Amino acid sequence: MAQQNKLDAGGMVYSEILSPSELFAARSRSHKIPIKGQKNFFPDDSDEQQKQLEQSLNEHCSLLSEERGKGCNGTLVKATWISSKQVVELQSLSGKFWQTMGFSAEGKRYLLPEEALYLMECGSLQVFYEDLALSIQDAYEIFLSSETVSLHQYQVFGHLKRLGYVVHRFDPSSLPSRYAQQLNLPQSGKNAGNQLKRKHDVSLTSTSAPSLSKTLVPTTDTMSADEHMKDESVDESVAMTSSESTADESSTTDSAVMVEPRKWWTSDIIEDKGSNHRNCSRSGWDFSSILFPDLGSKENLSGSLASPDPSLLPGALAVGVCDVASWRSKINQRKVKGSPEHRRRGVDNQRQGWHGKKDEEVQSCKNWTEFNDLMARHQHRRQDEQAEHLWNREVTPLHDPSQPLPTRELLDICSVIKPTCLLEGASRLKPAHEWRISFVVYQPDTASEFKKSKPRKPYTHVCVCGFDGPVPELQTVKLLTSQSGDVPVVFAVVDHGDVSFYTMKDFELPTDVFL
Amino acid sequence: MQAEFRAPRRRNRVQEDFEASLPVSHSSRKRAQLRAELINQHVLVCRPEDIQKIYSQGYFGKGILSKARPDHSISDQWEYHEGLLFPVISSSSYRELLQWARAFLSAQGWDNEAISQMMTNLSRPVQIEDVKKEVDGECPVVEGGVGPFTKRPRSEVNPKAKRSCSQSSHLDRDLDPELDHDRVSRTANSDPDSEHVVSGAGFVLVVFEEEVRELRRIPVPVTEYLQLSLEEAFFLVYGLGCLSVCLNQEPLSILQLWKTFRAQRPDFVCSYAAYHYFRCKGWVPKGGGGAKYGVDFMLYRKGPPFYHASYSVVVQPVNSEYKGTGTRPFTWRSLAALNRITTNVSKELLFCYVVFPANLSDAELESPQCLSRLKVQEVIVSRWISSRERAEQDDI
Repeated sequence: MAQQNKLDAGGMVYSEILSPSELFAARSRSHKIPIKGQKNFFPDDSDEQQKQLEQSLNEHCSLLSEERGKGCNGTLVKATWISSKQVVELQSLSGKFWQTMGFSAEGKRYLLPEEALYLMECGSLQVFYEDLALSIQDAYEIFLSSETVSLHQYQVFGHLKRLGYVVHRFDPSSLPSRYAQQLNLPQSGKNAGNQLKRKHDVSLTSTSAPSLSKTLVPTTDTMSADEHMKDESVDESVAMTSSESTADESSTTDSAVMVEPRKWWTSDIIEDKGSNHRNCSRSGWDFSSILFPDLGSKENLSGSLASPDPSLLPGALAVGVCDVASWRSKINQRKVKGSPEHRRRGVDNQRQGWHGKKDEEVQSCKNWTEFNDLMARHQHRRQDEQAEHLWNREVTPLHDPSQPLPTRELLDICSVIKPTCLLEGASRLKPAHEWRISFVVYQPDTASEFKKSKPRKPYTHVCVCGFDGPVPELQTVKLLTSQSGDVPVVFAVVDHGDVSFYTMKDFELPTDVFL
Repeated sequence: MQAEFRAPRRRNRVQEDFEASLPVSHSSRKRAQLRAELINQHVLVCRPEDIQKIYSQGYFGKGILSKARPDHSISDQWEYHEGLLFPVISSSSYRELLQWARAFLSAQGWDNEAISQMMTNLSRPVQIEDVKKEVDGECPVVEGGVGPFTKRPRSEVNPKAKRSCSQSSHLDRDLDPELDHDRVSRTANSDPDSEHVVSGAGFVLVVFEEEVRELRRIPVPVTEYLQLSLEEAFFLVYGLGCLSVCLNQEPLSILQLWKTFRAQRPDFVCSYAAYHYFRCKGWVPKGGGGAKYGVDFMLYRKGPPFYHASYSVVVQPVNSEYKGTGTRPFTWRSLAALNRITTNVSKELLFCYVVFPANLSDAELESPQCLSRLKVQEVIVSRWISSRERAEQDDI
């Protein structure tokens, strides 16, 4: 942009201060961006097209030739650059930006270099160094260095600030130590009254957990006589397992920690995540021991359900014995598609199995005893024919088909490979210099004021890297996640001024069992 | 902070019934073995009843002539001709099949005269009485073009089950002829009670010019096999103990199989560890995602016919310092591209890191028991949109 205090090569001198009419013109300029119309694909030599092209070109030219005025939007704050401390000291009264940027020390107000550069680009700050006003180019050269922030980091800073977030430099000591996390101490800096409600707050607070369990345990109320009923209810109970387990964990930890009286709706995410870090396992309830009644099975169940275990129910809820005979008479009435084929196949196997092959032997049996002996002999011979090669060597299969097990236990036996979480083993990793957390980002909240001295819980931490650089390895991800506590880490990738953000989060696939 | 689990999306039209999660029976105490052959470094299941069981219970493998489920049939059109149901093919396809039959016979070493004689025999018009005689009678029927899952009109197609020995004119000549005699190929839809409507197995209606249909014998019966990937085959052998893989009629032990697979693919341990882990969680990992989505495999809940795949998985080995071995390096550009593709198909990108401990010796790697020393770390990679509107709806 045109600098107001630079001499033109042609010798013309621009006046530094705008005259009142120029100022008025600058302030009342239209802020609209030229609208792009329909695309013209080929020239058709018409006057109208010519006019349109000229008009849009003129608009662009006038837009580009606008001079940006400093301080046109309000007060222009003056400041000086202190190179010994690498900060900018404010000389005049600060504007609205003081709410979220800058810091006070020794009675004076300071701005960090990246904040100062951002404000200079906005046009609300003027920085002097040794009584000379700095240009934007000077400021870029002086403020961004290896001791302050790099160019990539500044670009990310600017990008996020222009979107409205509050961005501060990351201070590793501001995080609670591992010990404090283990004790689940509430954060001293947190503002208990103004927690930002997050989407999954709803599922993690303690009141919703009983409502979930209430819908699951007395499943009879929601059963419907549907052909796929059994499948669907198993589906739902499995799907709910993963969300319920996180809800239950929070409820158990919430009840365990009562350091100060807190209202339940402001329950902190920190406590939940702290316990998450402490033990990577997730379920508060052991679903393998809690049995859900299977009303769809064909085995003989009694016509009534006993009342469930009181420890599974919330509060003062008492559930009595439930009579399910009427429901059971309504289910399993429709034939499942494909079952006639199954039946036919079974019958056919029996009819045309190897019984047919051994007609002579079967006919030579004179009574049932001989027939049974013949069957037994065939059975043994068949088993011997089965390849014993799998079971008579050093390494045998994990599961023996001759001992049938339900699917869940079968999967348990086969699970020899255990999952791990990101925090495991992270403590023994050495921090690297090139991968570190640069900024803390807070959500912009228009409802309440942002207090610099007692900021809210951070929204995310940002680690800046260049697009041409390497992708972080698992080692780096583990390190950063452990450094960042319970706040998510976002990787900001800068590609010549364009910033894109990627997250790499820990995950564990829930177990999914049918039948 | 943990990534949240998103529920898998169900498909709109589900036409299949769910049989079982894994091909093991829950009640019988027999060690009934399913059998597969290791042919030219591929694992193939040849017996139709084994194919049916392995595919329907757990969705292992892929039919070699089909997209996924082995339901190849010689034609998509089936018509009634004098009371029997036949597949219909065009005359050009018929001629092509005749050419194959001729090539096969000449490769077997017959001289030209004999070949032409056989070809004339093969391609003469067939009367419906011959068909009925073969279908109803005791003589072995050429069982060609019909497999356990063959697509047929849904209604009353019920060929009688026969014990038949298929013609040795298979496309794959590596099979021992002994195998053919042992094989008892039965078609899945068998109904001894149905009287009239029988499909003429081994015969086909050829459309000559202008809608004239003539009945002919199928020159080259093509049966379909099920191909299992190395990881699927090893899981069925080692994890469930229900399959045995034979090489030249010799069943291979677990250690031999492990060695063979490791020799064939150097990163077999890592990819098998990931496969085993996901199977033991009850999910169905299907390979072949590489050509379509650029990843190692896709994870399905319950099976491909029921749900859309939920995750695209990239498997990477790391050592005990959690550093990768560099076999598949990512740049931000390739990661951004992969992320875009995955988002466009509504899946999530899951990185599965297989952690090898430091003191794992080569000797331990020779046996599949080293799997218990490996650990798996799952990481979900996603893009965060920083613009303000997104941030309020969508947490990180």
